[in-house]
Amino acid sequence: MDPLILAGVIVGAIILLFILLRTLYKVAEPNEALLISGWGVRVQRSETADSLGFKIITGKGVLVIPGFQTARRLSLDTRGANLQVSCVTKQGLPVTVRAVVIYKVGDDFASIANAARRFLDQQDGMNDTIHELFAGHLRSIVGGLTIEEMIHNRDALTGEIRSSSANEMIKLGLVVDSLQIQEIEDESGYILNLGKPHAAAVAASARIAEAQRDQEATQAEQVAAAQKAGAIRESEIKQAGFQAEVDQARAKAGQSGPLAEATARQEVVVQETRAAELEAALAEQKLQSQVRKPADARAYDTRTSADAERDAAIAKAQAEAKETELRAAADATKVKTAAEAEAQATKARGEASAAATRATGEAQAHAAKAQGLAEADAARAKGLAEAEAAKAKGLAEADAIKARAAALAENQEAVVAQQLAERWPEIVEAGAKAFGSVDHMVVLNGADGVSDMFAKALSLGGTGLGLARQLMEAMGQTGKSAEPETNGSVVPTTTDLR
Amino acid sequence: MPDVPVIGSRGRVTGTIGPGLVGEVLLSVRGGTEAFYAYPADGQERFENGTQVLVVDFESPRTVYVQRWLPLG
Repeated sequence: MDPLILAGVIVGAIILLFILLRTLYKVAEPNEALLISGWGVRVQRSETADSLGFKIITGKGVLVIPGFQTARRLSLDTRGANLQVSCVTKQGLPVTVRAVVIYKVGDDFASIANAARRFLDQQDGMNDTIHELFAGHLRSIVGGLTIEEMIHNRDALTGEIRSSSANEMIKLGLVVDSLQIQEIEDESGYILNLGKPHAAAVAASARIAEAQRDQEATQAEQVAAAQKAGAIRESEIKQAGFQAEVDQARAKAGQSGPLAEATARQEVVVQETRAAELEAALAEQKLQSQVRKPADARAYDTRTSADAERDAAIAKAQAEAKETELRAAADATKVKTAAEAEAQATKARGEASAAATRATGEAQAHAAKAQGLAEADAARAKGLAEAEAAKAKGLAEADAIKARAAALAENQEAVVAQQLAERWPEIVEAGAKAFGSVDHMVVLNGADGVSDMFAKALSLGGTGLGLARQLMEAMGQTGKSAEPETNGSVVPTTTDLR
Repeated sequence: MPDVPVIGSRGRVTGTIGPGLVGEVLLSVRGGTEAFYAYPADGQERFENGTQVLVVDFESPRTVYVQRWLPLG
């Protein structure tokens, strides 16, 4: 046999075997399960043996006899079903919920068997079934929840999903990986309004925080600005100080030039002054020598000659004066001598006269003295004699008064009459005195008038007599009670009468 | 014999388990993690999310009964 043909036959046999095996051997992918049914399927699991009439292969391969056995694949992939359900929440608010449910066939054999029995030929329509199923479940779930719980409480949502769908999912052999509520369309605006207070509060707190931060920032800025201004001020002050120093130095430097110039000019002026002085001195010297000296010489000449003339004149005058003086002195001497002689004569005469007068005065004084002494002695003697006479007279009068008093005591009338008689001329004189001071008296009724008047005047004396009499009587009465001998009160009465 | 040995495995509660509720437990099975519907084993206890629980019973296909996990020591 040709080896080439043999090789070809072997290769062909291998290829045939491969194709045969490829056709007969089925391998389950990781995401699928092989369901073998038909002749000679051996069920190894005891608890499912009585019910399960097929074989479930996952993750490995199996030889399938064509014509006697059949192998079907069930995908274990995740599937997603979109849900859009109009439902009513627990609060009675109508909402439209859009959600997606993620599910898959369970990985355990029981789930695979359940799913295989239900969905093997309608795996593409599984989503519709799940949609219908979960639409109902979602209504019950949403009806058991409030919108707040749906929004906020995921645990409540998943718990509700499990509670409502667990048994049915087991029946269908499915596992819900998740149920996502994508959107809750709220026709009444409940959710929007629900968020408003919180949104307002958040906005308010945000504004408050913003205002506070703004305030703090402004304060910080102002503080910073104030500090900055202070720093700028300090800096400007320092700069101004430095600038002033610079200006001062510059001014000083600028002045040094003119100062030096002025100093130099001052020196020049000093020197020029000096030169001028020297020139002036020179000119003066020249003037002295050329003008003044000759003038002086001439003046001296003139003056000298004038002096000489004047001296001559003076000498002449002096000589004349001397002459006159001498003549006058001679005359005066002559007069003086005569006067002195006269004075001597007069003096002598005066002295003689004075001596005579003194002698006369002394003689007279002695005479007067002697005469005075004599007169005094005479006067004394006379006074003594008079005194004696008066004494004697007084004693006599006293005796007379005594006697009269005694007489009065005995006969008042007689005494008084006597007294009046003694005194009558005096009384009449006193009455006439009333007329003595009259210069011109006009008497209307002639001589009778005058006599009347005198009679009246004298009757005044008579009246005085009457008065005296009454007095006497009064005294007599009182004298009876007192002692009539005492003349102390009587003497003045008589004196008054006198 | 179940196709996976979930009884005795330890899981974490991802949906509150309690009376009147259908809870959820995440278990490690078949090299991955799967969620199982869970009920309290004694019917009255309540397990909040995140609680560790022990699977004490299994009901095909995806229901487990759990009780509180008591760590040793």
